[in-house]
Amino acid sequence: MRRKLLPVFAFAIAATLLGAGAAAAANGGFAPQHPASPNAQGIKTAYWWIFGFTAAIFVLVETLLVVFVVKYRSRGRSRGVEGAQVHGHTRLELIWTAGPVIILAIIATVVFIELPGIRNAPAATNALHVKVEGHQYYWQFDYPNGARSINTLYVPQGTVVDLDVTSADVVHSWWIPQLGGKIQAIPGRVNTTWFQAAHTGTFSGQCAELCGLYHAWMKAKVVAQTDQQFEVWLKTAAHTELGQAEFEGVCATCHGMQGQGGYGPKISDNPLLTQPSGLESLVEHGRGKMPAVADTWTPAQIKALENYVSKHVYTGAATSGG
Amino acid sequence: MAARAETVAPVSWKTGRVASWLVTVDHKRIGILYIGTSLFFFVAGGILAVLMRAQLATPNETLLTKNAYNEVLTIHGTTMIFLVVVPILAGFGNYLIPLMIGARDVAFPRLNALSYWFFLLGGIVLYSSWFASGGAAKAGWWSYPPLSELQYSPGRGQDYWILSLHILGISSLLGAINFIVTIANMRTRGMTWMRMPLFVWSILTYSILLVVALPSIAAGLTMLLLDRNAGTHFFIPSEGGNPVLYQHVFWFFGHPEVYIMVLPVMGMISEILPVFSRKPIFGYKAVAFSTLAIAFFSLLVWAHHMFTTGLPVGLDSFFMISSMVIAVPTGIKIFNWLATTWRGNLHFDTPMLFALGFIALFTIGGLSGIFLAAFPVDWQVNDTYYVVAHFHYVLFGGSIFGIFGGLYYWWPKMFGRLLDEHLGKWNFWLMFIGFNVTFMPQHMLGLLGMPRRIYTYSHGGLWEGYNLTSTVGSGIMTIGVLLFFVNVWRTHVARKGVRATNDPWLADTLEWYTTSPPPPNDFETVPYVTSARPLRDLRRKLAEQT
Repeated sequence: MRRKLLPVFAFAIAATLLGAGAAAAANGGFAPQHPASPNAQGIKTAYWWIFGFTAAIFVLVETLLVVFVVKYRSRGRSRGVEGAQVHGHTRLELIWTAGPVIILAIIATVVFIELPGIRNAPAATNALHVKVEGHQYYWQFDYPNGARSINTLYVPQGTVVDLDVTSADVVHSWWIPQLGGKIQAIPGRVNTTWFQAAHTGTFSGQCAELCGLYHAWMKAKVVAQTDQQFEVWLKTAAHTELGQAEFEGVCATCHGMQGQGGYGPKISDNPLLTQPSGLESLVEHGRGKMPAVADTWTPAQIKALENYVSKHVYTGAATSGG
Repeated sequence: MAARAETVAPVSWKTGRVASWLVTVDHKRIGILYIGTSLFFFVAGGILAVLMRAQLATPNETLLTKNAYNEVLTIHGTTMIFLVVVPILAGFGNYLIPLMIGARDVAFPRLNALSYWFFLLGGIVLYSSWFASGGAAKAGWWSYPPLSELQYSPGRGQDYWILSLHILGISSLLGAINFIVTIANMRTRGMTWMRMPLFVWSILTYSILLVVALPSIAAGLTMLLLDRNAGTHFFIPSEGGNPVLYQHVFWFFGHPEVYIMVLPVMGMISEILPVFSRKPIFGYKAVAFSTLAIAFFSLLVWAHHMFTTGLPVGLDSFFMISSMVIAVPTGIKIFNWLATTWRGNLHFDTPMLFALGFIALFTIGGLSGIFLAAFPVDWQVNDTYYVVAHFHYVLFGGSIFGIFGGLYYWWPKMFGRLLDEHLGKWNFWLMFIGFNVTFMPQHMLGLLGMPRRIYTYSHGGLWEGYNLTSTVGSGIMTIGVLLFFVNVWRTHVARKGVRATNDPWLADTLEWYTTSPPPPNDFETVPYVTSARPLRDLRRKLAEQT
């Protein structure tokens, strides 16, 4: 019986190792995602150090367990036969008290060595300062020149970006895995974090603190561009794209990308979309189940939304409506 | 004579089959009530877990709505913690503490009954929240404000949740005080502190932690309740409140709670391993004192749940070091248990399999905890599936495996019949394999960026693969758990269980001195205790005499 099981076990172990190896080669979740910012790099370095020590302890404990289980199995000895009546061994016990202390001290030291590079942004004169505000269920970004964007944060590649993170309603958590760790967005409090995109590209993440019904869809993107692209975006596109970004990032969550309805009612045939004052009052104060999604919006932002929805979402009143 | 006397005495309604359980103050019956009720809630919470896994099996699944998913995750967590692990350990404590210390009951039997009925009431209140206006609570088991405030959680479900936790808190407090008094005062002759079974040490520590930690959550919940219903604003920032205060108050309770759920199980492991290794525990004092050390340090680590809250680096550093310190006494226990099996005569009955499974899995949960204690790494993995995997290795791979070991070990004492070993082994292996298939991939999901508590996702690729694997694992685990109930059915309903002698495992502690199940008053006589292994002493004495 035992003999027959052996090849099965050997196969299972080989298959597991093979699968793990393949997944590891593709970074299939064996370490934090590929870092694209110095702080994320520091975290990953600390991760691998801890991984090394814990893997060693894991192998030690599980090997001892398996070896003892095999070696000291009863082999037909009855329950009445006692094992060695060993009550303890002070020196051994001191060793496995001191051993972990030393290992943990090393791990803590590694963390403290990596910490400044993770916590503190490099000193830079041209750092970009952005205010991040979490809302149910979107992220809002304020740039120094007064521009605003929704859900997508545009940054110049290579520039240190300092973030002031807060929330307008419940606790959210800001997280772009490739650009560093999380920080909670807490109403009434400003937390800070930073990143420095190592290359151009788009980095995705999503809210990491349960914030209500649409928590799963509260996603954020960081688009790192060249300096020139970023300047162009900041001066022009930020304003021309705002209305669309607002509709898609805020309204469409409940009302659908074409305003066709979803969790919230269909709005594409609602004449309110063409009535600035009515629309403004609705998005600023909410009504019934609809939250006050725009309670911190600027007049320019509301204007951008009005422009966009009246031109691109509104498809004409329903025949019964008026 | 006797027959005539019986006809004269009026038969009290209290002796009825059901009524006798309703009015009982016998610690053994209350223990069984606790364990039975907890197992019922274990099934309920398990169904919720399987629903979540089904919803996450593939991307954009629509089995559960987002609203239902948030309710399910909240009630699953609250159930498993407050209605399963904590009370089932209270059940084991109730049943075993008086027997283990040679007493005839706990110090306050009526208080004990009250504690159980409060537990049942708390469970009923939590589950009736499904029928509350606006549905069950849906802000997660820690219910951070402002999300749990009236403005963002307008239904009554959140209030039911608060009420339920208040009732359960009172229940646990009463039980804990009872245990402390019982253990301090009612040990039999000769049972000094250093001769107490390690399970008794662990229940004593569990009780002390409950007494210290519960008032904190009671205060937090009361403030939340007032915010929601009386117009206060402890946690509402626009009115001058501070939501971070709740996080501190909650986790000052919440972290000791983790050890409340693990320490007594470690006590069970310290009972089971020596018996099935035919050896004494390796380093009794080290194991007992490490239990106390873990409890003490567990009161100093709460903010490691708050590394992403934006605390000053100095505080983060303190809580990292204090959290790492806990790994030391935990490591002592693991190595002492391993050494307990060294040069033993190991018998792999089902309780032993679960105890060894506990060591294998709890070690993984402990090691992944070191990543989480290192706060910069926590910034990356906090609130992801990595954390979900971590605490399931601790609380399922640890606590629940140990509890199943305890059920198989003490079942013959409680009910007079042994559970079937063949089914028991299937029970163990399916749970063990299913558990790892379920939760190992969740570490990877977290590192791939999957946050906790999302009701769906649209990523394909590895997210989909690992999620599907995890769901398949939960199915295997479910079959394993169901086999336990099949086993109980087979043993008692089909009456195929073998009758247990007083001491079927040749164990060491006093509960095996009395009959299986014990008489209402536990013992006719209790032998004078001269060591931590009184039954082994008796067996040796008997062997010498013959």
